[in-house]
Amino acid sequence: MVKRLDDMPEGEAAHLRRIECPTYGDTPLLPGVALAQRRVALISTAGLHRRGDRPFRPGDGSYRVIPGDTAAGDLVMSHISVNFDRTGFQQDLNVVFPIDRLHELEADGTIGSLASLHYSFIGAFPPAAAEPHAQHLAGLLKADKVDAALLVPF
Amino acid sequence: MGALGHFLEREGIPTTGISLVREHTEIVRPPRALWVTFELGRPLGRPDDPAFQDRVVRAALGLLERTDGPLIEDYPDEVDEPADFSGWACPINLAPAQTDSLAAEIERLAVWYDRAVAMRGRTTVGVSGLDMPEAGALVSRALSESLPPAQTLKEAIDDLRAYYLEAASAFPDPGSPATRKRWFWDETRLAEALLALQPSLAASEDPQHRILGNLTLIPATERHRLRRR
Repeated sequence: MVKRLDDMPEGEAAHLRRIECPTYGDTPLLPGVALAQRRVALISTAGLHRRGDRPFRPGDGSYRVIPGDTAAGDLVMSHISVNFDRTGFQQDLNVVFPIDRLHELEADGTIGSLASLHYSFIGAFPPAAAEPHAQHLAGLLKADKVDAALLVPF
Repeated sequence: MGALGHFLEREGIPTTGISLVREHTEIVRPPRALWVTFELGRPLGRPDDPAFQDRVVRAALGLLERTDGPLIEDYPDEVDEPADFSGWACPINLAPAQTDSLAAEIERLAVWYDRAVAMRGRTTVGVSGLDMPEAGALVSRALSESLPPAQTLKEAIDDLRAYYLEAASAFPDPGSPATRKRWFWDETRLAEALLALQPSLAASEDPQHRILGNLTLIPATERHRLRRR
């Protein structure tokens, strides 16, 4: 169990302390309809993509598209960092990319619907490199009528 | 990750997310974050535990109703570490002294890898497009001849690492993920090759080689092994 950086192994904590986090003057918070009426997209930063898609590279701020019906066996990971556990992903996609859980929530009516496309970045992106891609992605999400994005780190 | 919350919400998409490093989230201040105490790389907490994952997803989605942020909610449940760090020995002898080459080690693991794929019905190997003997040969050539392009080498190594750890998960007594990672770094020829490769990558004139050597080859938790060499 990890509590705070001080509880982590020193090598790992030192690495995480060195990561420069961006700061923003204000944080927008949009209101919305009830969850049972929302259309939800899943956005991962685990560097996931379909086998055969272009792997991620250092400094890469772009995303890969993961259709909602992609079989677990078609997804691989090319996150550039080696500091995260990958054995969980090897055992069960959903511990990184909870697509089956979201399908269940759609089926039981907890969420209105599930987007047709989902997305993955690598978490190690420089924010300035990812921003234009994220802006473009927002347009794609709106076109798919998505009004809730679940962001899952790695 | 938190930056994406800012970018998307600013463009009109409401967001909620999971936070694995509270200190980072406190600085980035994304709209909504559910802070969990799980291991990095396991944001939903427990593999093969749909009920546990379901609770985490519901808690994160539940934050969408709130507009009183930026907010960080602490998730109450934790994952207990498996208590089997000691007393585990690799059930089949794969120690370097027992295999005379990286190629032989890769071949010896094939039967266990195949078993793992059959058990899980999937594999996460397949970023590089190489088969594992080819990927191993690439690593051997990088050591004995010249360095291939960094991206080619990185993809081959990531595939090999996945191949080794998936294979180890199908050993008769597979231990825990932590013990399997210790087996990888303590006992395999591949890990020995990666540690041997690091200095030449770090000293290369190619900046991509240096990124690989200094950042994306050896995990932070294993870099002490470089100093011991």
